[in-house]
Amino acid sequence: MKPAELREIDRPWRIWASIIIVSILAFSVVFGFLILPIVQGRAAGLDAFTAICRAVGILPGSPAVRQPTSEAKAQPTTQVAWSTDLIRSLGQSTPAGAEVAQACVACHGERGIAADPQNPNLAGQSGVAIYKQLHDYKSGSRVHEVMNGIAQGLDGRQIIDVAAHFAASPRRDLDPTTAEVVDEDIVRLVERGDPARGLPACNSCHGFNAGGPMETPTLSHQNREYLARQLHAFRSDGRRNDIYTRMRSVAAKLTDREIDKLANFYATTLSY
Amino acid sequence: MTHARRLTLAHLWVAFAAFAIAAVLGVWQMWARSPLPAPYLTAQAYFTSVTAHGVSMAYVLTTFMVMGFGYYVAETTLGRPLPYPRLAWLGFALGILGTLMAAATIFAGNATVLFTFYPPLTASPFFYIGLVLVVVGSWIWCGLMIVAMLDFKRVNPGTPVPLAMFATVANAVMWLWTTVGVAAELLFQVIPAAFGWNEAIDVGLSRTLFSWTLHAIVYFWLIPAYIAFYTMAPQAAGGRLYSDTMGRLTFILFLIYSLPVGMHHLFMDPQQSSAFKFLQMSFTALVAAPTLLTVFTISASMEIAGRLRGGKGYFGWIAALPWDRPMVLATGMAFFMLWFGGGGGLINMSFGMNAMVHNTSWVTAHFHLIFGGTVVIMYFAIAYAIWPTLTGRQPASLRHQRLQLWLWFIGMMVMTLPWHYLGLQGQWRRVATFNYADPVIAGWGPWVIVSFAGGIILLASALLFVWNLLEFHRDRAVVAPEHPPIYALAVHPPNRVPAALNGFALWNVLVLVLMIAAYGYPIAQFFIIDAPEAIVHRVTGGG
Ligand code: HEC
Ligand code: HEC
Ligand code: HEM
Ligand SMILES: [Cu+2]
Repeated sequence: MKPAELREIDRPWRIWASIIIVSILAFSVVFGFLILPIVQGRAAGLDAFTAICRAVGILPGSPAVRQPTSEAKAQPTTQVAWSTDLIRSLGQSTPAGAEVAQACVACHGERGIAADPQNPNLAGQSGVAIYKQLHDYKSGSRVHEVMNGIAQGLDGRQIIDVAAHFAASPRRDLDPTTAEVVDEDIVRLVERGDPARGLPACNSCHGFNAGGPMETPTLSHQNREYLARQLHAFRSDGRRNDIYTRMRSVAAKLTDREIDKLANFYATTLSY
Repeated sequence: MTHARRLTLAHLWVAFAAFAIAAVLGVWQMWARSPLPAPYLTAQAYFTSVTAHGVSMAYVLTTFMVMGFGYYVAETTLGRPLPYPRLAWLGFALGILGTLMAAATIFAGNATVLFTFYPPLTASPFFYIGLVLVVVGSWIWCGLMIVAMLDFKRVNPGTPVPLAMFATVANAVMWLWTTVGVAAELLFQVIPAAFGWNEAIDVGLSRTLFSWTLHAIVYFWLIPAYIAFYTMAPQAAGGRLYSDTMGRLTFILFLIYSLPVGMHHLFMDPQQSSAFKFLQMSFTALVAAPTLLTVFTISASMEIAGRLRGGKGYFGWIAALPWDRPMVLATGMAFFMLWFGGGGGLINMSFGMNAMVHNTSWVTAHFHLIFGGTVVIMYFAIAYAIWPTLTGRQPASLRHQRLQLWLWFIGMMVMTLPWHYLGLQGQWRRVATFNYADPVIAGWGPWVIVSFAGGIILLASALLFVWNLLEFHRDRAVVAPEHPPIYALAVHPPNRVPAALNGFALWNVLVLVLMIAAYGYPIAQFFIIDAPEAIVHRVTGGG
């Protein structure tokens, strides 16, 4: 076929295709951007202009309902607010941190590894977790006579520095000979949880590569007595600085035996 | 063997190897979700598995299938050697390298973010880089398909591009548009975050960019099936294609209305406003047009075949069709599943009903039915149709091929119908285990077990499929005819085709207009408004 002839049969296609597609677009725009919001807005007591701006996304809120207001007062379990700068600083260990840490050695050990198993090890703990706990001690969200006082004596910068310092310190070496053979049901709790009791796997938050809340502390390399005490505290509501009661709702379902064995498992495990 | 055929064979074997591995994982996942105790089950293992299964099925199987089939169509329909075969092998190599990188990170437990990798969770950066390499490999394929078509047009002025090739190029053009969204998300947002260069990420923007890709990618997977409907099924049935023009229109409509619609995946997301959701919802509804065009045209083509074979009366032609031929059988099954899947799709795209099924098992069941069912069963049929021309051999009997298709069809119905019902009961998707001791959930148990049984049937079918493919390579197979007719002639073979139906210039302009209308402000707003960002949460490294 000749080019001229081809152009001839192509013209109506070009014109009609464009007309049809642009008309469909225009119809949807008129309907979705004008008619619907005006009608919906009228029912919600909004003027047409506000309703249209909301529909398009220039003003916040929906064109179909008034913006909800709430009288409820927030009762935060913690005052911590994360920011990218904060998180970045928690990854950078500085000499200032080592200096602040001098005030901690008496109880948390020379290198962040506590001699008294009642006290937690800090070496190798996640910086985010240390920061959150110190912040909570300072604000009173987590209650402990000694630590509340100590944290109140630190300013915001010092808390960041010392958290970054301990996070960068090497963890306690585990002695392979002390690793205990662990009961199967405890390993199952750690790895799979117990759906029948609505218990998620501990490792879905505490495990290696877990996608849990970012403030979740590392449990391996921690002291057994300390871990057990914390679980009892969560269970009895004595410790309540966990956001959304994440740990309290878990600990509440654990038996004494399980708490003991879980603490033992994490204190001696060599798996992660 | 010609270059294109060696390419096709290499691509398809990679596609179906990934498919077979993923099928095993799929069955284990269903087992995990059932009340029956599954081995090796931990949350970590489950999400590792679902990520591997999703990536293999949605990215590896599909991309390699589309590419391999495209090379085949280009060579067989244009009657010319493929341009730049070395580049094609480069694309293949990039795809393999990317797949291996992604697989290594997944199986090392460093990528449990699922195939949609929604931030702020991030995996190992090498997971995303692997996916990017697969996409870059497929871009090479797009370029080669377009060049092949242009070469053909130059050498044969005035001759219409054969429909199968026209559709393949439609898919290539669409894929170039499609991948812009996800490529931008990965390169500018997710990969920098995964490397630790950014501590915060605008989740609203990344979800919006992903939605740009998320619907059109489905059509990318689907188009080989539609090519088979239009060009291979009527031939296999012994008939003719009812209308070549309808075919061209269908593929053009897919190109246009696959892109400005992705926001229907964000109906429940707060970062987009109702007017843009409405706009994209109304465009989504237009997919009914190519779907109905296809149902009509293919039914008419089949009716021609049935009547040529002596079928009489309103329905007699259906019985007269050669159902013993895998392509015809698969087309019938695919259409049957398309009714259910399409019905489910109508529910998903309706704003109000979507709210009820959002993030439930309904959604997973829906896409297994329409994608794993309708589309993948046509992948099987295509493989059976073209493999004899690749190896020069075919098994003496088609019994095992028919059995395999039946198992897939039955397995898919048995698996997905209860799965849909579970979704309506509120069963979550993407959850590893359920508390069947809870009286609310206990009732789900038997339905999941039925689904699991369907999954086992599907696995049997998947393994039989691989076995059937190996049959084509065996010595005991008989010699196949060298150039069997594969593509149907149209009742009125096209000779006067307007340029609009023989190329994509006009349609690219219209897609651009629609994309600016549908995604212009919704993306621009993230740069105009100071949008809040989320803190990146890396699920690699210590916990
Ligand atoms: C007098 C002893 C003592 C000193 C000094 C001390 N701590 Fe503590 N620390 C404790 C005890 C005991 C606990 C456990 C408290 C509890 O049960 O809530 C604790 C808990 C903590 C925790 C919570 C750990 C966790 O895993 O949740 C952090 C973080 C911490 N201390 C940091 C510090 C820092 C930093 C310093 C120095 C600036 C310091 N502590 C000084 C005794 C001390
Ligand atoms: C949903 C996620 C989640 C699950 C599941 C979970 N934890 Fe926790 N756990 C946390 C978070 C978050 C914290 C820190 C709470 C806070 O903000 O003070 C924590 C704190 C703890 C602590 C205190 C550690 C310290 O250094 O003070 C212990 C002990 C603990 N978890 C044990 C367990 C055990 C044992 C299990 C399984 C039975 C478990 N957790 C399951 C999220 C979880
Ligand atoms: C052997 C047959 C199959 C079985 C038993 C199976 C089963 C499953 C299961 C149980 C899930 C997890 C769902 C969830 O956690 O909510 C899943 C996810 C998925 N399946 Fe399949 N599947 C099969 C075949 C296929 C096929 C053929 C495809 C497509 C070609 C496919 C694509 C997907 C995708 C993309 C996901 C990821 C979903 C997500 O991330 O939420 N599957 N499959
Ligand atoms: Cu979609």
